Amino acid sequence: MNKFKQNFMGLGLIKLLIYGFFLLFLIIPLLSVFLVAFTDEPINVFGSLVSWEQMQITIDQLKNATLDNFKAMFTYGSYFRGLINSLKLSLIVSLWVLIICIPIAYGIARTKMPFKRTISALCTVPLVIPTFISAYAFIIMFGRSGWVTYIYEKMGGEGMLIDPYSMTGIAIVQIFFFFPYALWPMVAAFKISDISLEEASRNMGSRGWLTFITVTFPLALPGMLSTLLVIFAVSFSDFGTPIILAPNDLNLIVVDAYREISGFFNWGGAAILTVIMIAVAGVVYWLQNYLLKDKNYDVLSGKPKQVKLNKNKALTIPLTIFSGIVVLIPILAMITVFLQSIATTWGRDPLPSGYTFDHYRTIFTSSLGNIQNSLVLAGGALILSAVIATFVSYFVVRQRSTTLDFMTTIPLIVPGIAFGIALIQTFNTAPLQLTGTALILIIAYSIRRLPYMVRSTVGTMRAIKQDIEEAAVSLGASTLTAATTVVGPLMLPGIAAGSILVFVTVIKETSVSILMAPAEWAPMSLAIFQNVLRAEYYSAAAMSVILVIIVLVLQAIANKLSGGNKSHE
Amino acid sequence: MGSVLIEQLRKDFSGLTVLQDINLDIKEGEFFALLGPSGCGKTTTMRCIAGFETPTSGTIKIGDKNVANLAPNERNCGMVFQSYALFPHMNVFDNVAYSLNIKELKKSNFFKKAGVYTRMLNSKIVKYPQHIERKVMDILEYVELTEHAKKLTSELSGGQQQRVALARALVMEPEVLLMDEPLSNLDLKLRHTMRNTIRRIQQDLKITTIFVTHDQEEAMSMADRIAVMKDGKILQVGTPTDLYSNPNTPFIADFVGTSNILSGKVVGSEKGETIVQIGNQQIKSSAQTDKKDVQVIIRPENINVLNGAPDNFGNSFEGTIHLATYLGSIVRYDVRVGEHQLLIDTTYESGDSIKKNGSTIRLGVSPERVLLI
Repeated sequence: MNKFKQNFMGLGLIKLLIYGFFLLFLIIPLLSVFLVAFTDEPINVFGSLVSWEQMQITIDQLKNATLDNFKAMFTYGSYFRGLINSLKLSLIVSLWVLIICIPIAYGIARTKMPFKRTISALCTVPLVIPTFISAYAFIIMFGRSGWVTYIYEKMGGEGMLIDPYSMTGIAIVQIFFFFPYALWPMVAAFKISDISLEEASRNMGSRGWLTFITVTFPLALPGMLSTLLVIFAVSFSDFGTPIILAPNDLNLIVVDAYREISGFFNWGGAAILTVIMIAVAGVVYWLQNYLLKDKNYDVLSGKPKQVKLNKNKALTIPLTIFSGIVVLIPILAMITVFLQSIATTWGRDPLPSGYTFDHYRTIFTSSLGNIQNSLVLAGGALILSAVIATFVSYFVVRQRSTTLDFMTTIPLIVPGIAFGIALIQTFNTAPLQLTGTALILIIAYSIRRLPYMVRSTVGTMRAIKQDIEEAAVSLGASTLTAATTVVGPLMLPGIAAGSILVFVTVIKETSVSILMAPAEWAPMSLAIFQNVLRAEYYSAAAMSVILVIIVLVLQAIANKLSGGNKSHE
Repeated sequence: MGSVLIEQLRKDFSGLTVLQDINLDIKEGEFFALLGPSGCGKTTTMRCIAGFETPTSGTIKIGDKNVANLAPNERNCGMVFQSYALFPHMNVFDNVAYSLNIKELKKSNFFKKAGVYTRMLNSKIVKYPQHIERKVMDILEYVELTEHAKKLTSELSGGQQQRVALARALVMEPEVLLMDEPLSNLDLKLRHTMRNTIRRIQQDLKITTIFVTHDQEEAMSMADRIAVMKDGKILQVGTPTDLYSNPNTPFIADFVGTSNILSGKVVGSEKGETIVQIGNQQIKSSAQTDKKDVQVIIRPENINVLNGAPDNFGNSFEGTIHLATYLGSIVRYDVRVGEHQLLIDTTYESGDSIKKNGSTIRLGVSPERVLLI
């Protein structure tokens, strides 16, 4: 066998390993959770492969499979209520986000509203904050002893302005912290819709607002529908807000699934909820692709033309005020968390009664472990996903491996809690008992964030022409040497930017952490969650501030890296 | 330096044959051009030699060695890519030193290997040994880039980048130098300079060079021999003058230079000359043929305008000037002869008058200049 083939064998082996990794930790868990929905008890997939006895048991389990869980799901019960409530919540949130975003997006894309730059910058703030922290911030604002409630009562109101522990509370948190996901695509849609069509409409005598309703808005509609679906999916999969805010009598599918598995060890129940969650998320994802493919996007793909910005003060000033209020709420929430973290005590008053750094001191003495855990777990996930993503992008770009391309998009669709449940069930028993180890946690984080990493590395890989690699080989380098001395260094900026993104999202990660992290590996997010549950709000606040600061700093570095990368090209 | 021998090379891409019956015998030290329109398979042929494509069948020998089982990095073919493919994260010196580093890497023990690896990633940390330093500087001096050694390749002009690519390929002392459309990214003026540079270097080093181009002028002016390719096959191999004066197909007659190509029928022969009927005209050719239907090929510069001079060319016709184009040293006339259209080139010297459109002229062609295919 010649050397060229040997090198190919080397790469082929890596490809096989990557397939094995996805099969083991993504495909089999998802399939197995699907089977458990029928068998009602965990099946030991890997055990069946190594032991004949276990195989027999599994076969018996499959023989005794029932549709009971499916029946339970769809006869009117708590599961079904959970699904309906979750769908309702996601629909409400996505519609409100759309309504809120239309004026802001129009303001940013098409007008010269005052403070446009400041507002655009502040609109990114909610993206940085994990939802369980925003949910918790709402409690200390709107809760019984929150400052909003205080002001409300002073103004003559009774009780709470909004009960944070309710469907409304959850919806409001999600609306104000998810709207940026919809805002930027909508700004883009408004920017590139064809101005000449609007001018034609005006030319035919239509007034400004009529033009907006009859021309501008319908043209931006397909884009809006697709962003509506994005918000729907984000809201449906969100675990952080409902787990903090959902009252016991409110069934939501993500919370139900979590309680079934971590409270009652009801494998079958958790499995059916997981299957339903994945199905809903899958349908939403499919709809979104369908919309993007089949709608007429001529307008949106047209070249952006010079937009005449609306300067009418009667329009721009109300727009600024509206946008200001929308961005103010998340910022107030963060300020509240910060104040709580440095408060001695904060009762039913507009401001804390005194200030101290004690809570930070406590954290750095007693909870340093959580910070360490977060950093170690995120670091592990970073390394694992960087290695996998680098090879995956090589196979996707150079060998056009569509299977791998598809596999790395699956984690985008599967909600975190669903993926966590699938992994717990699959790796619950010997021979591959990984549940409760740091390893499975790191693997779960990596797979969940791999799509972002792959997007980043595929981008850089595409930018490296095949010629450059071939040049190295023609100069005598083996494919491996060419990869390490030429392709590797050129991919480094992309890998670095993607790595930081993975690191940041792992630190922010809620669902997998809360579901899977063992006590000795509790990361910051789990610690904050437990503190909130124990009503230890001050240390939760201090930990949240530290988490947000870590995220902000890393995000800034990532932006700089990816920005620097672009200017380099 | 090596010769290159290709026998019965064939390449299929997913059921589609892109190369077939490729036979080439390229001699040591020869400057050989693969010429043809885009998609003719010339680049694929070169990539088969370099080892980037695996032939479906056939053999390739470099020197006396069959390279079928050699990886591209073992073939010692220096390659200059169309895009130059310089390493953008390395400076000029590091780019040129790349193959020398690789050679060190193969010979050294583990610790030295680690050192060379580090140097390839960052040459500031581990210094180059003297012999590499000297070799790289020598070749950089040879291509006149000494003062640019420490620059990043993106800071260089197109012509300078081209010379870096050339230096990088030459420094490894390849058996064969392969160049894929190396001049196509340069502007016209630079292209002419680079032609001379490449030709000079090739003759200096007597290095076997295979050069892919779609530009017949480039091939004609640089190569010792040319293979003209079309649709995955070689149509003709020969010296530039061969191809020009004896094209074996109408395609080559047209692709290599300009030709008047007319279809005709052989109607007889007379004193060793073949008589061909073209429409209602007859023309004599000294070429011999067994075919009945032939293509008659006459180069524009081989048709003479008889300004009242005696007609001793053997063939003469009357034509009307349709269009006259002044091209500097020559004037090209588009002339109607009967229902046919002919291009005629006449040398132009200052003071000559250009004939008016619509004027009638007499033309003469000697039978030796009339080719039959």
